[in-house]
Amino acid sequence: MALELHQITAATYLLAAVVAVLGLVVPAPRASRVAVGALGLGLLLHTLAFLSLHAQAQPPAFTELPMALSLMAWLGTLSFLLLLLVVRGAGLVVLVAPLAFAGSFAESLALPGVVDDLTRASPLWSHLHVLLASAGLALLGLAGAAGVLYVVHHRAIKAKRAAALRLPLPSLETLDRVNALALTLGFLLLSLGVLTGVAWVEAAEQRMWPGGWHANATLAAWLIYAVVVGARFGAHQGARQSALSSVAGFVVLVVAVVGAGMLA
Amino acid sequence: MNLLLLGMSHRTAPLELRERYAVTDLAGPLEKLAGSPEVEEAVLLSTCNRVEVLVLTRTLEAARVRLRSFIERDLAGADAPPPSALDEALYEYVDRGAVRHVFRVACSVDSMVVGEPQILGQVKDAYRAAVEGGACGPILGRLYQRAFATAKRVRNETRIAERPVSVARVAVELATQIFETLHDKSALLIGAGEMTELALETLRARGLSAVRVANRTRARAADLAARFEASAWGLSELPEILPRSDVVLTSIGGHEPLLTVPLLERALEERRGRPMFVIDIGVPRNVDPAVNGLDNVYLYDLDDLSGVAESNAEERRREVERAESIVEEEQQRFDGWLSALAAVPTIRNLRARAEAIRNRELERTLGRLALGEPERAAVDALTRAIVNKILHAPISRLRDEAEREQGLAILEVARSLFALDGSGPDEAGPDENGGDEDA
Repeated sequence: MALELHQITAATYLLAAVVAVLGLVVPAPRASRVAVGALGLGLLLHTLAFLSLHAQAQPPAFTELPMALSLMAWLGTLSFLLLLLVVRGAGLVVLVAPLAFAGSFAESLALPGVVDDLTRASPLWSHLHVLLASAGLALLGLAGAAGVLYVVHHRAIKAKRAAALRLPLPSLETLDRVNALALTLGFLLLSLGVLTGVAWVEAAEQRMWPGGWHANATLAAWLIYAVVVGARFGAHQGARQSALSSVAGFVVLVVAVVGAGMLA
Repeated sequence: MNLLLLGMSHRTAPLELRERYAVTDLAGPLEKLAGSPEVEEAVLLSTCNRVEVLVLTRTLEAARVRLRSFIERDLAGADAPPPSALDEALYEYVDRGAVRHVFRVACSVDSMVVGEPQILGQVKDAYRAAVEGGACGPILGRLYQRAFATAKRVRNETRIAERPVSVARVAVELATQIFETLHDKSALLIGAGEMTELALETLRARGLSAVRVANRTRARAADLAARFEASAWGLSELPEILPRSDVVLTSIGGHEPLLTVPLLERALEERRGRPMFVIDIGVPRNVDPAVNGLDNVYLYDLDDLSGVAESNAEERRREVERAESIVEEEQQRFDGWLSALAAVPTIRNLRARAEAIRNRELERTLGRLALGEPERAAVDALTRAIVNKILHAPISRLRDEAEREQGLAILEVARSLFALDGSGPDEAGPDENGGDEDA
């Protein structure tokens, strides 16, 4: 049942992505609202899929990459839909929906295995780490998505091409607000994720820093984000530079998490 | 019955001519027109771009003459040109052509600025005035309801009205692409000019809150500032007010750029990177074009805005074809309804004739039989059912066929076959013994 629900979830996210992309290409401004609706439905199904998984006899391994990505997709979608309550950024769905699909896709292929020894040694820290880091990644992904759209929209307005101006994208100010909000919260959660990760390794293996690709690349990404947040709020960096930095930071973070997961 | 439309528009008459025939109060002229014996129903539309009269008439030629005299005498102002001036300006549409024209006008396909939304409101006003004046009856009422529905379809199914085509509206749309809302934004108007003022008014209509006006001296700025409930500033104070302005509209004389890169760089620094939208309508330009290279400044000059407006207008023109096919579809639907209307008298006559025969035969039969009340009622119901069942198929077929092209011919055949035109045999039909002419 859980696997089928994950598959339906991924299909719903894909539908939202297709509608959103078509809406941008045609362009049809109303399509983004339909896509947001489909994304909301996907989130509901995703929640049911997680609940169904939780009800299984064996607890799922949230530390496995597909499961962690799926959790990120769920948290990212939830954050986006909550964000829409305060900003008019439905156009962002054109990047959020494909990311949600990508995050949930791997999980829809096979259910996660059972928890490993490391997790079993310290279940509280491991789950806290995965939850906080995933939420941080999801929000930083949202900041990156807003950054990408900001750069695209900024170039369209600067280039003064009527066709580019017809793209149904959120205003630059909206994208910048989403970027700033998601960056702040995402960085905070990522920081807590790193700290709980350290605590997890300390509790399970009695060492401060685990080393390895994942830990080192995550630290590098955290440092990049620390600079980005500092530049943004301390040195009043411009919106475009902040957008570009968010994209760069997210790329490093994806390499750190997904790359490490693939290498593992 | 015919539909006849006579009028002039921006396509056939210059403004100097149109304005002589434009009326603001539709009730008076409509009353005169509706009182004419040639006119069954009438609607008068008068806007700055067109004056049109649509009537439903039983006498087409007489109505044609009446409409011409109505425009020449009743609509013409005191200084109207001689009637011959109208020869080239007036156009005429009859029946289907008139329906199509009304639909095209309501859909803004025939407008000077294709897709502009005002025309639909003006057509609705004209219709309302005709209804209130008792000049609009069921046929024109239905026609205008279909025209409004067609306009709604065109607006929903095409992009004919999606993008702005005036410089002022393009500026506003660009502002909304940069800023999430204009309610907390402030504008700076430098100099004065019709287009900048129009753009400012449009921006204010979209919620722009604070306005500052700057001119060479504070005194010169004061007049304009009073009009916009704004504060007045001198050009020397630009470094002070630029950082506080989100939207800058400039149109001031002078050969040297007024807003330079260093000036805006300083403003941006104070604004902590918040974006600025600069609209330069000045000729020669008031803003150094290199300013557009600054990260958070979006500079549009008159050519840029006109280019976007023209591209949007081109997009609208491409949508006209789709709008025309919707008009065509709706026109056919209305034609069908109108044709079906022609079948109503035939169907009514057919029913009346059948009912008369039934009643006569029923009376004759019941007179010979000594039946009680329940039996009489049963025989009455039986004959009624037989007549209804026999007539059901031909009446349905008549209704369907009337909507088609050969509808009128079929109606003629039906009238002849059932002797509804009074030229057939006696209504009594075959004798009571059931014999007919062949027997």
